[in-house]
Amino acid sequence: MKGHHSVMFIAFILFGIIISLQFRGVINKSEVSAKELTVQLQAAKEENRKLLEQISNVEAEREQLLNNMGDNIGNENLNKLLGERDYEYLRAGLTTVTGRGIVITMEDALAKGEMDIEEYIIHDSDVNAILDELKAYGAEAISINDERVIFSTKPVCAGPTIIVNESRYPPPYVIKAIGDPDVLYEAIETMAQVAFMRLADIRVDIEKQDQVVVKKYHLYRSLDKMFEDLEVVRQ
Amino acid sequence: MKTFKEISLTMVCLVLGIIVAWQFRSVKYNQVLAQYEKKNVSEIIDELLMEKSNNDKLKVRLQELQQEVDAFKNDQTGDQNRLNALEKSVLEARIMAGLETVKGTGIVVAIEPGGFKTIEDRHIEELLNELKATDAQALCVNDERIVATSEIRNAGDYIMINGRQLVPPYTIKAIGNPGDMANSLRLLGGILEKFQYYEFKVDLKEDENVVIPGVRDDGTVLRINMLTPVEQ
Repeated sequence: MKGHHSVMFIAFILFGIIISLQFRGVINKSEVSAKELTVQLQAAKEENRKLLEQISNVEAEREQLLNNMGDNIGNENLNKLLGERDYEYLRAGLTTVTGRGIVITMEDALAKGEMDIEEYIIHDSDVNAILDELKAYGAEAISINDERVIFSTKPVCAGPTIIVNESRYPPPYVIKAIGDPDVLYEAIETMAQVAFMRLADIRVDIEKQDQVVVKKYHLYRSLDKMFEDLEVVRQ
Repeated sequence: MKTFKEISLTMVCLVLGIIVAWQFRSVKYNQVLAQYEKKNVSEIIDELLMEKSNNDKLKVRLQELQQEVDAFKNDQTGDQNRLNALEKSVLEARIMAGLETVKGTGIVVAIEPGGFKTIEDRHIEELLNELKATDAQALCVNDERIVATSEIRNAGDYIMINGRQLVPPYTIKAIGNPGDMANSLRLLGGILEKFQYYEFKVDLKEDENVVIPGVRDDGTVLRINMLTPVEQ
């Protein structure tokens, strides 16, 4: 009878240890790494911001040097080329521009209703449809969360965020477009997709503005590398 | 004495049972929680990797720019080099804007409706987006160059791009890494599989000499008359 007691005693101690181990194992593992990763992510983002700032400083310095060069030398060819360069950079989306236009602000529904959860979030196709509509109605420059839309821009909604060009942004998604404000406003306001989104409580605010600023495209690589696989054909 | 022992044993077992059941539930709950956490973690990892690769690219870019500026500052080679550099940057901006006809290795995809379904704007858009995701350097549909302001929309049975009506078969050309681009289209459950289901006739070719024409330069596609540059 005594031996029976001690066996039970040991069995229960083991039982207790196992339960508490399991309990702790489940909770701890992921929480710690998520915290660490978030810290790393913040650091990486900070570095990113600093690098972009440094780059724009050096770009400004280069700009200054080029312009001074034109003034100092008074070389006609050079000045002509500098003008050409400004013009083509403007057309390529490499210059920050301002003008009259509209600003569209979009945000996922705050609470889920009784429809499928998919109905309450903004999809790539919604953003693409809005971009196509803006382009068709004469928008001259467009940005999404200050990322310039260029020929290869392809917004992707990933979870509760949007990836545009090289970066990821949380909501709200802000689309800025320069063009005739009345025409653009009317075009977006009457889109079927916009009506559907509003039915699902997705926020779609459209605002006409006199001074919309559309930022230039941030080069993450030199143009040289961006187009390394192609050569120009002269007719 | 015996009844007291039995009652207390019953109580202990009851309490133990409740505790175990509660524990079981909480473990299950934690597992669900852990799954959410895990998903969260994998999202953070994705974002972290993206930021890190961006930072690497930016560092290289910063170095290049710095070298360029240094070369400008203590340049002994004279104006001719500077002129050449400027000329090159003008040409590259024109390539980016889509104004130059370009050629290089890439792929050519021809699509024709074969069954019950017509080809719509979203099909073309999806295909183009797939190619953009694999770093296509220039794109066109039926020789209409895709630029920053190119719309892709249905207009009756046609598709409008750059304000022009296009009719099937649609031929999409892209310059870039042909293997990567073809693979991304042929992916299991990818876009070509979907097109097969729609009974579109698709012909995908890798080509060493893809020629993509520039966009027409009459101010109707690339429009700038409402833009004012901002000094920074």
